[in-house]
Amino acid sequence: MKIAWPHMGSIEVAMTTILDELGLDYVLPPPSSNRTMQLGVKAGPEFACFPLKTTLGNYIEALEAGADTLVMIAGRGPCRFGFYAEMHRRILSELGYEFRMVTLEFHLNDLPLMARNIRYLKQGKPLRAVYQALKFGLAKAVAVDHIERQALHQRYLDLERGTTSAALRKAYRKMRDVSDYAGLPGAQRECLEMLAAVPKREVHDPVKIGIVGEFYMVLEPFFNLDIEEQLGNMGAYVERNIWLTDWIRPTGNNPIGGHHDRESEAAASPYLTHSVGGEGIHTIGYTVIYAREGFDGVVHVLPFTCMPETIAKAILPVVSRDVGIPVISLVIDEQSGKAGVETRLEAFVDLARSRRRHASRQT
Amino acid sequence: MIVGIPSGLLFYRYFPLWKSFLEELGADVLESGETTRSILSRGVTRCENDSCLPVKVFYGHALALKDKVDALFIPRIVSVEKRTHTCPKMLGLPDMIRLAEDGMPPIIAPTIDFHEGFWRNYKAVYQLGSSFTRDPRRILRAGISSWERHRAYRNHLAQGLKPRDAMNGDGQKLSDGRVLKIAVIGHHYNVFDSFTTMSLLDRLQGMDVDVVTSDMIPEEVQRAELRSLPKDIYWSYEREVVGSVLACVRRKMVDGVIFMISFACGPDSILQVVCEQERKAAGNLPMMCMVIDEHTGEGGFITRIEAFVDMLRRKKLQELRETRVA
Ligand code: SF4
Ligand code: SF4
Repeated sequence: MKIAWPHMGSIEVAMTTILDELGLDYVLPPPSSNRTMQLGVKAGPEFACFPLKTTLGNYIEALEAGADTLVMIAGRGPCRFGFYAEMHRRILSELGYEFRMVTLEFHLNDLPLMARNIRYLKQGKPLRAVYQALKFGLAKAVAVDHIERQALHQRYLDLERGTTSAALRKAYRKMRDVSDYAGLPGAQRECLEMLAAVPKREVHDPVKIGIVGEFYMVLEPFFNLDIEEQLGNMGAYVERNIWLTDWIRPTGNNPIGGHHDRESEAAASPYLTHSVGGEGIHTIGYTVIYAREGFDGVVHVLPFTCMPETIAKAILPVVSRDVGIPVISLVIDEQSGKAGVETRLEAFVDLARSRRRHASRQT
Repeated sequence: MIVGIPSGLLFYRYFPLWKSFLEELGADVLESGETTRSILSRGVTRCENDSCLPVKVFYGHALALKDKVDALFIPRIVSVEKRTHTCPKMLGLPDMIRLAEDGMPPIIAPTIDFHEGFWRNYKAVYQLGSSFTRDPRRILRAGISSWERHRAYRNHLAQGLKPRDAMNGDGQKLSDGRVLKIAVIGHHYNVFDSFTTMSLLDRLQGMDVDVVTSDMIPEEVQRAELRSLPKDIYWSYEREVVGSVLACVRRKMVDGVIFMISFACGPDSILQVVCEQERKAAGNLPMMCMVIDEHTGEGGFITRIEAFVDMLRRKKLQELRETRVA
């Protein structure tokens, strides 16, 4: 059995750790590329949301590389994500691939199915071992999120462009190689020190930009056209509301993002009073929160036709007017190009910066 | 008090229910009527460009009522059945309309959510009622009689009346024992809006074709077909759409299917794949997917429909000839 899953941000670190711990075999699909996208776009339905196509592309490349068991989280709506696994299964089978799709459905009614699938995946390993592996993998993911956040916060200070990102890549590798639970805190510290050692410039009062949007698009740097890095390179202090380990936390508590789900729902309530699936309500909520915290602008990333985020996009202009900071919605699909996004972001950061200057002059 | 009900989206499903409930409570109900060019273009300019066509149309209807009513009635229908949801756009609809333009009238938006069990919904409806009257019996009566209206309306739809006729309980039926039978399946608002569909249903009748809609396919039949799918469909109204397509293609209830999809519809975009695959697996009954948006040109649309009908008719005649010889 060779397990594979689609790329998404740093999920690889957690997944490989869990599977290594259990001694299960896996295949990493080649890093996402234009080929990945083209494969997915060709095989996927035309109006499907963009992440469905890119993850489909990852699967195709994983199958080409010898995977035979595809893992995907599933659910029950209301947005399309809950149906991804079934779409992938149908489309890939029609293309003639042989594989088994194993879905992990996080829904009370589907617990029996989930238990069955976990039993299948663990291949006779004792449950205790599964628990240990999950614990280790998740702890590692939390550590990685902390490191990633540090990189996000300091990138604008780079004396030499790209050094923080390079240190971050090194940190990913280092964290991946940590082989026992006890070694985690030490490794995390070393990685943070590595980031701290990056030569920095002095910057006073940087422009502050928040990133909000659809889960996958925010987390996946290749397909969001590296907006985090782009913004950092433009000299902006960046914060974002979506973090892998916050998302899997069932309590609604978000230690990395910093605000409880309830807080962001309350912040959104003058504009959106009910969840609309996905991250829609938090996109609105965090825009309000970032404005309160003195940010100068919010970048909203969403895939074309995404339902929850299209609702948010419809409402954001009103929010932006009320809270008084500019918001830009970047709709991303297979036609988006890095250069085009860069131009738009540059103009946006300039706008935010002039707003900041203006505001500081007034006080 | 004049309460406006925009004639889009779930209007086609629940208007008689909503109207009679509100009227029993003493409100005057005003609907925005059939979609027109100006309603559509107003919606298109105001609504988020990446939205699906039906939501744009809905914006247009809501704006058309804006200055004529004291409040707009846009319930938030979250779920009409356990374990299912409506589409996210419907969850966000009351909020989107409230913020569509400055100076929108207040929105009355009771939340209907069957995940929450019967009582929560009872309470939501009761609360709505009590904002009109203090008399609990009146609310109860309004509830009961509007439900009866709703049943009657849906019965008329099932007999093949178009929505406006079904509201009056009288009119020409879509199916009338003609030789050629075509199912037109899709969300109500994609099938029954005669402006955005360019009078598809009337045109088909004009071509001497019997039309079957998903309302005319019994719910048990749809459900039975859905049970065979490996993954449950969790969108309430989409279940009807897919269940109907499956019933048509597997039970050969019709000669062909026209699947009406609106551009940028989230659920349709992927369930179309499910329908296509199941259709192929069930013997390839002809099916045409029509994707419509505000730019769809009438000429091309009609040509495609005519070609499809001609093809089906030739095929049917051929079949009839063969059976007669045999
Ligand atoms: S959140 Fe948007 S992009 Fe993501 S699965 Fe849902 S509809 Fe698709
Ligand atoms: S189901 Fe499709 S057409 Fe209907 S509101 Fe949702 S996205 Fe729009």
